[in-house]
Amino acid sequence: MGSALRVLPFLVRLYVKSRLEYRGAFLLAISAQFFSYACGYAAIWILLQKFETLGGWDWPELALLFSFQLLAYSMGAALSFVQFRDLEEQVRLGTFDTLLVKPFSPWAYLAFSGLNIGYAGHIILAAGLMAWSLTQVGMDWTPGSALYLFAALVSAALVNAALITMIGACAFIFVQSSHLYTIFFGFWELSRYPLTIFPAGLQWLLLTFVPLGLASFVPVAFLLGKDIPILGEWGGLAAPLAGPLLVLIAMAHWKYAISRYQGGGG
Amino acid sequence: MYLAFASSALQTQLAYRGQVWASLFGKLIQVFAWIAIWMSVYGDAGSVAGATLPEMVTYALIGGTLTTAWDWRRLLNAVGASVCTGDVAVYLLKPMRYPLYLFATECGNLGYKLGAIALPVGVVVALTYGVLPPASLFHGVMFLLFWALSFVIIFLLAVLCGLLAFWLLTAFSLEWLLQGILSLLSGTAIPLWLFPDQVAAAVKLLPFAWISYHPIAVYLGKTSLAETWTYLGLGLVWAALLTLAVAVLWHRAALRITVQGG
Repeated sequence: MGSALRVLPFLVRLYVKSRLEYRGAFLLAISAQFFSYACGYAAIWILLQKFETLGGWDWPELALLFSFQLLAYSMGAALSFVQFRDLEEQVRLGTFDTLLVKPFSPWAYLAFSGLNIGYAGHIILAAGLMAWSLTQVGMDWTPGSALYLFAALVSAALVNAALITMIGACAFIFVQSSHLYTIFFGFWELSRYPLTIFPAGLQWLLLTFVPLGLASFVPVAFLLGKDIPILGEWGGLAAPLAGPLLVLIAMAHWKYAISRYQGGGG
Repeated sequence: MYLAFASSALQTQLAYRGQVWASLFGKLIQVFAWIAIWMSVYGDAGSVAGATLPEMVTYALIGGTLTTAWDWRRLLNAVGASVCTGDVAVYLLKPMRYPLYLFATECGNLGYKLGAIALPVGVVVALTYGVLPPASLFHGVMFLLFWALSFVIIFLLAVLCGLLAFWLLTAFSLEWLLQGILSLLSGTAIPLWLFPDQVAAAVKLLPFAWISYHPIAVYLGKTSLAETWTYLGLGLVWAALLTLAVAVLWHRAALRITVQGG
């Protein structure tokens, strides 16, 4: 265990070094992603210039929700998305077998040897927008609320990483997992808007089966004192616990999925 | 010959049924989300900036299905990959034009996406929330022309960005840049009449506006007879300019490949 922990920083350093080898392409990529998300948010800003609020949320409040959702996603996805999306290919080609014979957890190897610093563009945009919106929403800061924001953010990042890992692990069972990512991102895009604007069925889905709403909308609504559908005040308590709980589920699922893995070579 | 490419693309797509369900679901969620947003912001308001809620539901329906049925990202990446790796050289050996080959293939893909995804999503949404007919017979017929033009323009933009990857060596950044521009300026999500007047006047003249905004505005009868013809003409001019740009870039890239291969 101790030696494993010493290997992790080394794996990360290797990957970062290889990415920074193509500095121009790297900077271009993160700027393009920054620009793309900024345009998406600008579209909603234009909408609010005419309508003022969306589901009772004004622009600074929505900006806080957008930035929270993007920051949590980019932290979670840096640990998981590209790595586990490409797991499908590794399973098909049989290269995953080489990880199984390493004296090291295949999950940790995949996650950290590909720790995606390409999310820097997302993180800069989200952190900047969040810093601005926090000064605009006019809430009373206490050490408790600051701690809550931090805990909820970590929890939401874990929810994202756990869901993405679980979808990736489906490749062990079905060989294919990319369709499930399409569905994941469908829900992910919804989770940036106030949950209250959606029909009840979608609200349930986003709070339970695909708990992206529980991870980002609920804690932000709780901090801002907004209505939380279905869960009410309890939602505020549930949000920081959702991440750790989902990680446990994802771990069990990973174990089960690997036990079903039969190798792609046939 | 190009017709055969189109039908072959259609049949390839039909082989991947699992992806259909996921895409179908993704599209459905996207359209429902925008309708939920419009219903929420409109509330009891009758008309905002000259558009009513039923018009916005129709707007979201057309913008979410017909004008965005075809996946430009896949083509951009495919063209980018084939020019970066040099696979494109294969097409130079064959007695055909690569851009025309792409166009034929993508027409087949468009047909497939319309039948397998846009149509079912459109029917489900129309049955759930209702949909308005075109403002008049004239606007309906013109919409079909604008819609065809919309596909041509987004196709040309995707190929253009894909070919640019030949010089930038990365299609990834171009994909995200184009996505950002389209999310704001194509009018797929937010109609341009909600933009500040001067900004809207400028954005309406950019080629991106022909992808979703102009076709839907025509469908809903937001343009007068004269305006409709003017925009159709301008759109054709843009299509011609973009075709020229693709032809020039392709010619240059083809020359470079010969040199590299030598």
